[in-house]
Amino acid sequence: MATTRLKTTQRTRGYRAKTHRGSGLINLLYIPALILFAIFMVYPLVSGIGLAFTDWNGYSAARSFVGFDNFSRLFTDPVFGQSLVNTFIYGVGSMILQQIFGLGLALALDRKFRGRTTARAIVYLPVLVSPVIMGTMYYLLLQYNDGAFNEIVVALGGDRVAWFADSGNAVAIIVAINSLQFMGISMIIYLAGLQSIPEMYYEAASLDGASTWHKFRYVTVPLLQPAFATSIVLNLIGGLKLFDIIKILTNGGPGYSTNSVSTLISITYFDNQNAGYASAMGVALFVIILAVTLVMNKMLGRKQLEA
Amino acid sequence: MKSGKTMRSVKTASVVALVGALALAGCSSDDGDAGSGSGESSGSVDATIEFQTGLAVDDTEAQALKELAAQYEADHEGVTIDLVPAGEDYEANMKVRLAADDAPDIWNTHGWSVLRYGEFLLPLQDQPWADDVIPSLETTMVTADGEIFAMPTNIDISGIIYNADVLKDAGVDPAGIDSWDDFAAAADKVNSDTVSPVYIGGKPLSAAVADRVVSGTFNDNQLTEMTDGTFVSSAYQEMLDIIHSWGEAGYINPDYSSASRDDMAKALAQGQAAFEFGPSLLFDNALSFNPDVNLGFIPMPSNTGGPKYLVGGERTAFGVSKSSENTEVATDFVNFLAENVTDLAAASSSPPGLTTGTMDLGPIQPSFDEWVTEANTPVVPYFDRVYLPNGSWDAMQVTTDSVITEQASTADATEQMKTTFDNLYGQTK
Repeated sequence: MATTRLKTTQRTRGYRAKTHRGSGLINLLYIPALILFAIFMVYPLVSGIGLAFTDWNGYSAARSFVGFDNFSRLFTDPVFGQSLVNTFIYGVGSMILQQIFGLGLALALDRKFRGRTTARAIVYLPVLVSPVIMGTMYYLLLQYNDGAFNEIVVALGGDRVAWFADSGNAVAIIVAINSLQFMGISMIIYLAGLQSIPEMYYEAASLDGASTWHKFRYVTVPLLQPAFATSIVLNLIGGLKLFDIIKILTNGGPGYSTNSVSTLISITYFDNQNAGYASAMGVALFVIILAVTLVMNKMLGRKQLEA
Repeated sequence: MKSGKTMRSVKTASVVALVGALALAGCSSDDGDAGSGSGESSGSVDATIEFQTGLAVDDTEAQALKELAAQYEADHEGVTIDLVPAGEDYEANMKVRLAADDAPDIWNTHGWSVLRYGEFLLPLQDQPWADDVIPSLETTMVTADGEIFAMPTNIDISGIIYNADVLKDAGVDPAGIDSWDDFAAAADKVNSDTVSPVYIGGKPLSAAVADRVVSGTFNDNQLTEMTDGTFVSSAYQEMLDIIHSWGEAGYINPDYSSASRDDMAKALAQGQAAFEFGPSLLFDNALSFNPDVNLGFIPMPSNTGGPKYLVGGERTAFGVSKSSENTEVATDFVNFLAENVTDLAAASSSPPGLTTGTMDLGPIQPSFDEWVTEANTPVVPYFDRVYLPNGSWDAMQVTTDSVITEQASTADATEQMKTTFDNLYGQTK
């Protein structure tokens, strides 16, 4: 009996030693990725935070320490305030539209019908296109002269429309185009979620006489909570960081009225030559996205547990 | 339990680092020590000179440079001139390279040889062409100590650019426009469903209008105040009021918000625009759309009682990096370009930047002869390059755009400009 226990203990130790050696090798394999992450992510982050305390112009050798001046300016700068509001509109607006259309398309394309795969590919295709190309395509479509939208308006007897002349219109167009481009991601996430729901729940609900709406409300929605969490957080962060489409469609105009914090950082850094202040904006955006992400993760994580 | 906590901490730290890095990735500088040039030390025949031309690959001036570089290479065995064309973000790229101590051997200073690039460039006042720089460029290209950092191949002179055929059809004599009221009367005459009296290529080109009109709303005392760091709001708002009045009267093209520089050139070339404000490059662009178009320019009216004026300054100029490993070869090549300034200026349809060059402005020559040679119209420097701190261009662009698109009153836009001026002026002190 004692011999058997000894052998078992030796086997266990041998297994643990092997596992330990294995995990040591695995840890070594992390190193290249960690080095790249440190060079291209951590170093710029730390360096950017350092710059936020200077008045550097972005290219000159001269720079002075200015303490918290750049940060205090954020609270009184109306342009930053407007860009912050726009950032939330882009983030929340895009996120809501992407959930509605993504879920709707996932439900429609989860059914079996001919051409289903092609339809899914078509909806997903814009995700593969660079936002710069997407923005340029819509810029051409929405041009005042020769733009396809205005040609249709004129053909229907209307007057040409300057689509980007009004800041409200321009913000709405940016949200719509961003949502259109990335709703394919939501669709894929929801499709994966729908396919992981066992069919027996629907069969049980049918036996209990549940209608289609009731099945959706009481079976699909609760079991899609993990998919909701993933899709909402991903889309929200994407919207909060929106840059390329704004740059192409409006370049922040009219005036500063369609800037997000990301585009304002670029303008402040490169055009206004105020790298220190731009870095302070970057730090603020970092804190905001981090806070939103943590809150959303906590809220949606709790929902998942309840589900 | 402990390992779960550790994992969560690692996850949280990773999320913090990732989100932060994404947010700040564009805000950092690289303090690397990369050198420039790839040839041997100065004096060696084996040298590769990186030359950031600041010109588009299909630019006629770039083509002329290419031919001259080939000629220089043929005469100097072992020397390679690597001409690099500019992309849309030339200025931003140059700033990043300077910040990274990775300057090219030669680059186009496009109006900023002293204020922005001076600290990175080799002083060239001892070169054989230095005494031949056109006098009107001296305000912005020569420092108080007599230093000059770039060789100007041409000079940008323009005022109000017009399509002569459009004005003729509407019965407008451009030479008779002496005030902004005259200009408004002319705009009324040409205004129609097919012709925009004033065509502006969207937000990026709005500052080009402001930068030209504003020199006529500041008097000498106000200009001195600006130089001393006091923003004169009343004179700046007067400029914005003029531009705003054009918008209210319906003179500005309805596609303003989506128009581009190409659209400006096309509208001018195709008779859809009567007047435009911009660099003399617009002439080249318009002629490329329609070689037969009749174009000209007139001086800008002054609102301060002063004489009408033209606006001019450095356009294409080439400086040598003082950190280059091939300063002698690079300087020698710039000197070679100076010897061929006539060819380079002709390729850009602009007057040469050196007095040794001769002029061939093509269809614009009559306007130049009338207003520059015969009338001796004063040429004032670009306002932003002399009276606004470095980095003000974007604010000028945004404030003008805000007024044109009715996003801000002229008073609010002026206040916005003042804030930028004060911040940037403090930064440069």
